[in-house]
Amino acid sequence: MTELQAGQGAQPLEVPRIDARPQRYRDLLIALAAFSVLALLPMVFGSKQLLDFVIRCAAYGLFATSLNLLVGYTGLISFGHGMFFGLGAYGFGLMMQKTGVPIPVAFVATLAITFVVAVVIGAICVRLKEIYFAFVTLAFQMLIHSTILSWQSLTGGDQGLRGGIPRPPFLGIDLSNHLHLYITSCALLVIGLLLMRQIAQSPFGYTLRMIRDNATRASFIGIDVWRAKLVIFVLAALFAATGGIIMALFVSGAYPEFAYWTISGEGIFINMLGGVTTFLGPMVGTVLLLILNDTVTRLTEYHGIVLGIVILFFAIGLRKGLMDFVVEWFAQRRGEGRG
Amino acid sequence: MIFVDLDALASCLASPACLVTQTTSGLIIGMLLFLVAVGLTLIFGVLKVVNFSHGAFYMFGAYFAMTAYQLSGSFALAILSGAVGTALLGLIFERAFMSRVYGRDVLMQLLVCYAFVLIFDDVVRMIWGPEFKSMGMPAAFQVPPLFIAGGVVPPYYLLLIGVALVAAVVLGLGLARSRIGKVIRAAAHNPGMVSALGINTGLIYGGVFALGGMLAGLAGALAAPVRSLTPGMGFSVLIESFIVTVIGGMGSILGALIGALLIGLIRSFGSLGFPLFTEGLMYLFMVIVLVSRPTGLFGKEVA
Amino acid sequence: MLEIRALSKSFGGVKATDNVSLDFADGSLTAVIGPNGAGKSTFFNLITGALRPDAGQILLNGVDMAGKTPPEIVRHGIGRAFQVASIFPSLTVEETMLAAVGADQRRASVMHHRFPLAETRDRAEHAMELLGLAGKRNRTAATLSHGDQKLLDIALALVLDPKVLLLDEPTAGMGTEERWRMIDKVRELWEKQKITVVFIEHDMDIVFKIAPQIVVLCYGRILATGTPDAIRSNEAVIEAYLGSDDHAGAVA
Repeated sequence: MTELQAGQGAQPLEVPRIDARPQRYRDLLIALAAFSVLALLPMVFGSKQLLDFVIRCAAYGLFATSLNLLVGYTGLISFGHGMFFGLGAYGFGLMMQKTGVPIPVAFVATLAITFVVAVVIGAICVRLKEIYFAFVTLAFQMLIHSTILSWQSLTGGDQGLRGGIPRPPFLGIDLSNHLHLYITSCALLVIGLLLMRQIAQSPFGYTLRMIRDNATRASFIGIDVWRAKLVIFVLAALFAATGGIIMALFVSGAYPEFAYWTISGEGIFINMLGGVTTFLGPMVGTVLLLILNDTVTRLTEYHGIVLGIVILFFAIGLRKGLMDFVVEWFAQRRGEGRG
Repeated sequence: MIFVDLDALASCLASPACLVTQTTSGLIIGMLLFLVAVGLTLIFGVLKVVNFSHGAFYMFGAYFAMTAYQLSGSFALAILSGAVGTALLGLIFERAFMSRVYGRDVLMQLLVCYAFVLIFDDVVRMIWGPEFKSMGMPAAFQVPPLFIAGGVVPPYYLLLIGVALVAAVVLGLGLARSRIGKVIRAAAHNPGMVSALGINTGLIYGGVFALGGMLAGLAGALAAPVRSLTPGMGFSVLIESFIVTVIGGMGSILGALIGALLIGLIRSFGSLGFPLFTEGLMYLFMVIVLVSRPTGLFGKEVA
Repeated sequence: MLEIRALSKSFGGVKATDNVSLDFADGSLTAVIGPNGAGKSTFFNLITGALRPDAGQILLNGVDMAGKTPPEIVRHGIGRAFQVASIFPSLTVEETMLAAVGADQRRASVMHHRFPLAETRDRAEHAMELLGLAGKRNRTAATLSHGDQKLLDIALALVLDPKVLLLDEPTAGMGTEERWRMIDKVRELWEKQKITVVFIEHDMDIVFKIAPQIVVLCYGRILATGTPDAIRSNEAVIEAYLGSDDHAGAVA
């Protein structure tokens, strides 16, 4: 019976409630509003630095939020999710450099490649539990990283993809124009978040929560646990790859660090920082980490120490992410207000 | 793309001299990895914690040894300070930080370790500087290499293998025979039992961390004369030790030994046959083992 | 109609289920009793696919379930609840129900639907009403009382509209009064839903009072089957299981 009871020990987490009223368009409206604000930003602040910051937030935010679909929603702690970020960057960069196809074609083709790779790797990984899942994903990450390093003729080895990625205009969009790149990144971010929100709130999203809470029970209400895990593994990979594509466009290249394990480590840390129990937690975490990184790097060359202490503060001190903290605080206030 | 150079591998396998040279270099890689990995596996076995910052002990061991050697000129003292210094570090690290996250979810434990990977690397950078350092070969070993069946074997390699072997045997016997060893093994099997016996679990846990730190520090100190020292040197060793423990089976000491030797040999012979894909070869091997035997070669089946 | 044909399973030479053949008519209510280690839970685990039978058939309306995975068997219409309430701690009662229906509608792969669809909501509502959980819909499962968690577990099985409902000790871990409330609930469900219900129970008073049909398992084999009266007077049962005199309070 131990197997059947295994899920009982799961920590009860606060999860977003299903709202009784149909709010089909609420998320869409929020997304449109957010996009409008981001799109208008360059008119108010012309600072290139700020726009660069938002583009980086888009790349890492898509990556971190997709990781949360695995970690927070499904309980799959992937330590190799960064491989798909790297795959997206390299796949897209190579496609543009070697074939000269239009950008949208390269975009779709990169996602198609990611899809195939994620299906193969996912099919192997999702059979394993907990720490072993973490290890085998880490191993695949390192495998891809060392392939990139060693396949010098194609990837440029440890030098990365150099010489710039050609960005020919398409449909009136010229991604070598900084403003166009900015708007496109924002659009990809908002669309990506909207899609992931949809997944999280769909019946499938609740299937994932059930698997996280108690996989055995889930299989006894007719859920094919392995299949559901594989589906979310692949979907998350696609969003991570999109983040990688934005990054490749931004730096006009791709570097082995994009596929290194530290990207996965940072993704996990971002999730922790922002909190895994709210959908936008990872997005908040992304902004925080990037600000933190930029500030600390400017102030001291020892930014590892500062970053480490911040992590310790959240992991040992707060014991939760910032958004978890905020949500709980509000819930408490509301509770007091009623009582 | 030159992934494969099977001719080089084949011609080496046909030559005794090359076989000896490659095997020796595989053995020293393997023995160093074993010392790091066995601590990792012990800590996991007893505490059920994956010490992601274990590579830092290896790094500190090397730096402590270098400093001690530069100050005293004594190689023995260098090795000793590497081992003892990291043992203390392990004890402090466990009592002050890791003990706060036992029983919490894996994510938190990994994060605390991740934080220390960042912190320790920067601490080393602060104290010893960011550039590559070298301890230099002790005078006693600056002698012509031995030739065994035509293969070149530096005498220091023999010492290194010897010391690591002694450590392995002492550790194995200690765990099998001594009272404290029995308690540690019991704790690995059934953590609840130890506290039921009235033994201070905090002491055992701290002790295991100190032991693990000491072994990794010993490995770092032994490696110091033959490797260049740099902040971040712990990480590649950590990743390889992970592979070793996962291949051998988390919690298994014999598994760590076999796994380490396998990885050492894969590295040394793989560098001939697959010069650019040696690391990839290790990960590939790990994936194959994990897929066919998720708990590793010597791991206990998860009930 | 659920027909078990020569079902067998052994663990390292010990026959936990030994050549068991049984018929459960549509709409029947059957209690499975037997001393500890009689193989009652193994029997359930075989039917629901948690364990793979060594031999035999499990025919649900003529389709063999033996060798199928738990999700497949659930989709064929055999639902189960567990001895220790098996629920989703972080979801509320309502979310649990909606999510279970959502998964059952095979919309797991279709992501363009958002909660709540009218049909999903009706089914979830119905199950909550049936088990008296509607008033606690916004409580997280982890915060429910032991009894309510058991009810939620049953609701999870019931919300899938099973043809056969297997309840592994619905009254486990409950006080006397609570037991009777729970068993009344089970009987009520059976009457209202007109489904086949099979439950494991230790309390003989309960079994003899509410089950029209009783199966007695002992050492993996069927010792007897029949109505309460037939079981009461069955020599083999009295000898092997109930003891000679005090059967009323016999709790194995």
